[in-house]
Amino acid sequence: MDTTYDLDGITAKIESLKKTAMELADLGEDFPALYRNARRILAAVKMLEINISDVSDTTSSQAVFMKGGDPTASS
Amino acid sequence: MLKEQPYWNPVLETLAKENIRDLQLRKFRKIFEWGYEKSKFHRALYKEAGIKPEDIRSFEDLRRIPTVEKSMMRDIQRKDPFPYGDALCVPLDEVVEFRQTSGTTGQPVYQPDTWQDWEWWSECWSYILWAQGYRPSDRVFIPFGYNVFVAFWAGHYAVEKIGAEIVPGGVLDTQARILKIQELQCTAMMATPTYVLGMADTARKMGIDPSSLAVRKITCAGEPGASIPTTKKRMEDAWAAKVYDHAGATEIGAWCFECTAQSGGLHVNEGFFLVEIQDVETGEYIEEPGRRGKMIITALDRQAQPCIRFDSKDIIEWAGEPCPCGRTFRLIKGGVIGRADDITKVKGVLLSPSAIEEVVRGLDGLGNEFEVIVDKDGDIDRITLKVEIIKGREGESKQIEARLKDQLRLKTNLGYILEFHDHGTLPRYDVKARRFKDLRGK
Repeated sequence: MDTTYDLDGITAKIESLKKTAMELADLGEDFPALYRNARRILAAVKMLEINISDVSDTTSSQAVFMKGGDPTASS
Repeated sequence: MLKEQPYWNPVLETLAKENIRDLQLRKFRKIFEWGYEKSKFHRALYKEAGIKPEDIRSFEDLRRIPTVEKSMMRDIQRKDPFPYGDALCVPLDEVVEFRQTSGTTGQPVYQPDTWQDWEWWSECWSYILWAQGYRPSDRVFIPFGYNVFVAFWAGHYAVEKIGAEIVPGGVLDTQARILKIQELQCTAMMATPTYVLGMADTARKMGIDPSSLAVRKITCAGEPGASIPTTKKRMEDAWAAKVYDHAGATEIGAWCFECTAQSGGLHVNEGFFLVEIQDVETGEYIEEPGRRGKMIITALDRQAQPCIRFDSKDIIEWAGEPCPCGRTFRLIKGGVIGRADDITKVKGVLLSPSAIEEVVRGLDGLGNEFEVIVDKDGDIDRITLKVEIIKGREGESKQIEARLKDQLRLKTNLGYILEFHDHGTLPRYDVKARRFKDLRGK
């Protein structure tokens, strides 16, 4: 069974999440609980970028991968 | 609800090879620019070599970039910004984690990490655990005293990240750890090969057959044993569990892992690391399988103290065949074979301690522990190998000695002075074993 991942769509949502977390951090300069938790969210968002957004830049806009793994099917 | 999926990242782990190479080059440029702009140490190194970020357009370009050695990191530390020195790329108040290397090869190196780095560490380990079959239903025991060393910290956080349950066995002694594994029916654990074997011995002394416990997956670190077939078999037989290897280092990250296919190699996490193999003698870069060299490695996303073209001294070689698991991440054959500074010439022959381990652990009648001492008898190199005979097998010592001599000659092409000791009398290690001692320079 093929599984399709809309990498561009996921990347757009990650970007939106990052923007919101950055705005929260900016609002928290004198609010430690807001600033530090927003910064931790940003660290987790970075992992989403590494896992997906960075890869999305490398592949076509919509990549198809075989569930169960056939590497030749991805190119 | 998460559906069953063999890959932690089904996109990255099955990416076509040309896409992986493209990703690595783009990410390398970014981390190089980061180091160049933020770290005085890196900028000085690269300026001296006449290389700027805009010069990096190909893999050939990046091979002109000077490598960084551990001794260079030692030299800059304990200076400002204290205690890390000027390779630090972020303000000191963004550092949230301190760790240091074990000091196996000299003065320990300090490693600062931001929270993003710490997330990254556990992300690297999430790839490892998922590939080794860890799932949210697992209860994972870590029989290790967490401390200033990086060992198993990231494994701990990755267990949480993948949604499994962590049981930290920190300050408990070995017997208490075994009882806790039994009490909680833990399904997996992480330890050094030496300790995995030592725990099995202790369990038997307590009247507990380790294979009767619920542990069915063991992830090893710190020593090459889990990639040495005879040592792996001893561990798997003792625990009735699958034993998986991985490799990582404080200043690098967790960069490669064995998967459930157990195809005889470890996958390099090529989305997170760029691994180059360099011929130790000629300096030539090795792309083809079957030739050993030392690893030059770059962590492509590490922030606080970057790892850019780090000369790890680890000896590795590319595997020839792809792994049946379907991952496109390249395999290194047999894991980390040794270290460039451990593989030493004795009587003019290259000797790797792991070759001796393979022989000792493969011989029925010998215990798990051994010790190798290289010294000189006048001008001539001499190797003494100390081994233990298992209790009840002392009467077979002559036959065992003959088989040991034959196997050592076959695998290492060297002669040894053999010493047989009573079982349980050679030193035991909880963390990194130091079984190889070269006393010739002393």
